[in-house]
Amino acid sequence: MNRSKNGIPGLGWTVFFSILSALYMYPIVMILLNSFKVETAISTSTAFQMPTGDSFAGFSNYIDAIASKGFLQSMCYSLLITITSVALILLCCSMCAWYITRVNNLLSKAVYLLCAFSMVVPFQMVMFTLSQTADRLKLNTPWNICVIYLGFGAGLAVFLFSGFMKSIPIEIEEAAMIDGCNPLQTYFKVVFPILKPTMISVGVLETMWVWNDYLLPTLVLDIKKYRTVPMLIQYFRGSYGRVEMGPMMACIVLTILPVIVIYLVGQKHIIKGVLAGAVKG
Amino acid sequence: MASVTLKNIKKIYPHSGKQKKGEKKTNLQVTDKGVVAVQEFSLNIADREFIVLIGPSGCGKSTTLRMIAGLEEISEGELYIDGQLVNKVPPKDRDIAMVFQSYALYPDKNVYDNLAFSLRLKKMPKEEIDRKVREAAEILDITQYLDRKPKALSGGQRQRVAIGRAIVRNPKVFLMDEPLSNLDAKLRNQMRAEIIKLRQRIDTTFVYVTHDQTEAMTLGDRLVIMRDGFIQQIGTPQEAFEHPANRFVAGFIGSPQMNFFDAELIQQKNGDYAVVLGDATIVLSSGKQARLSTKDVQPQSVILGVRPENIALCEDGGNDGNQARICGTVDVCERMGSAAHLHVKAGGYDVVIVVQTMDKNGPTQADFAMGQSIAFTFSGSVAHVFSKETEKNLEF
Repeated sequence: MNRSKNGIPGLGWTVFFSILSALYMYPIVMILLNSFKVETAISTSTAFQMPTGDSFAGFSNYIDAIASKGFLQSMCYSLLITITSVALILLCCSMCAWYITRVNNLLSKAVYLLCAFSMVVPFQMVMFTLSQTADRLKLNTPWNICVIYLGFGAGLAVFLFSGFMKSIPIEIEEAAMIDGCNPLQTYFKVVFPILKPTMISVGVLETMWVWNDYLLPTLVLDIKKYRTVPMLIQYFRGSYGRVEMGPMMACIVLTILPVIVIYLVGQKHIIKGVLAGAVKG
Repeated sequence: MASVTLKNIKKIYPHSGKQKKGEKKTNLQVTDKGVVAVQEFSLNIADREFIVLIGPSGCGKSTTLRMIAGLEEISEGELYIDGQLVNKVPPKDRDIAMVFQSYALYPDKNVYDNLAFSLRLKKMPKEEIDRKVREAAEILDITQYLDRKPKALSGGQRQRVAIGRAIVRNPKVFLMDEPLSNLDAKLRNQMRAEIIKLRQRIDTTFVYVTHDQTEAMTLGDRLVIMRDGFIQQIGTPQEAFEHPANRFVAGFIGSPQMNFFDAELIQQKNGDYAVVLGDATIVLSSGKQARLSTKDVQPQSVILGVRPENIALCEDGGNDGNQARICGTVDVCERMGSAAHLHVKAGGYDVVIVVQTMDKNGPTQADFAMGQSIAFTFSGSVAHVFSKETEKNLEF
């Protein structure tokens, strides 16, 4: 931080970051305020007014959001997809990164480059062919969609895991081999526990992405049967342009709450995990 | 406890993609198959013997140890542990334990779990694991640290844990790869003494790799001195010091390093061998005479080697026939406390002489000034004669 001679942070920076924080916070504050207002009190001119006696709706919007459109079912689908996808990404990508780091051959180099390349391919480029392929391979259910998420999440996860894996001395694995471990035991009993900080960081990042994702499930899942929470929010927009603003705002608050909690809990590890392997420690 | 036999072991590292054929970064032999890191390595390690592999960096000592451990594949040759061929046996089934230079402790496990890890893999009963772990901790004096994670330990304590992890397994062969090189000088001396005590307590076969000759001389029953993948000499520390097989061993063992001179080996009228160095003629001792005669060594140009400790300063310029007086000027005087290392310029050579400056009564020697003229001498019994062509000791 830019500091003046007497140690007080530069006023310019303070103003700049205050404005930036306000810009980030204003949609969340607006949604939170309006989720407690009655439908008629929600408009663009009164978006930032505090709920008053007449406009305060209590938790009725929340009850409506949960009860009317099958919120709990959507929540279960979102949870199922997020948990299976993140678990698969953590397990497969950490193993893949272990192979890439420890086996020095053409295949490992090719896999690494492929993973790095997958990070720069825009989703829009592959989305239509993907939805067709997913239908053919029967990956269009909440139980199978995790395979597609594994493919899209592998790039970043392998990249982060490889960075950390390089900082683990190979002697630790050799010591495990001499102590009596086979390769699987070496991975699960020795390497896996050491990866914990990176696991948490990758886990948090991937959870936020899968939980919030709207486009991929909309394209792949059978929307008549399965709706994730981000998809459900759209269903508060009725026909003829009518929007159930109160329940929609309540639904959005309920959707972002778990992500905020997970981020706050894992925040420390995200920085640690992303920096791991970047510097020699 | 077991014997280890290495028969004509060879290790070839295939050419990597980046490395061009014929490119030579070290003195190691490069063949079509790859870089030969170790070759013609044959050694019998007796049961309960402490063998030290020593040599400069890149000589193949760690590679040899890793081949014994099973961490490197053996390209050619045979390796026997306790009479059983183990070339294709995985490390976990060789019944060996290894202590690494970087400790290689499991960072997420506390000291107790680090020590118990291999025993748990063997599915040993809990009570027995506990007994063995506490016994090893007792031996190494780390009982009070059993609950700590490795990051909360000092370097010396971590090294003890690494040794403890090997002890609990009660292995047939104990392998140590430069275990003290990450410690500071004081701790290294302390740990060296600990290893000597440990060896007496656990009494098993040890193979120890180091590039530190003090460790090698103090710990080993026998030394295997290596260079560029080849064994240079196998022998007890005293043998290697007193009768070096070649110029490399003579220069590598001993600190400060042996002095080398270009000289002429002659045979006098009475048949005695002598070495002519400048104006001085040094008649070799009777033992050396006998060995040179037995080998029927002909007069020739040689490399003469004399250890700095075997050179004496002349005070009265005396010459007793077997000794010769060589004059020079003091270039540098390094004071080491109880001794001084004098660097003397004499006849175009930089000669190092160790002068004792202390005895039981206190300081004995005055200071040496830069440029001061001095004369020194040595006897024929301490002169080592090496062939100029092969650099081998002509006595062997």
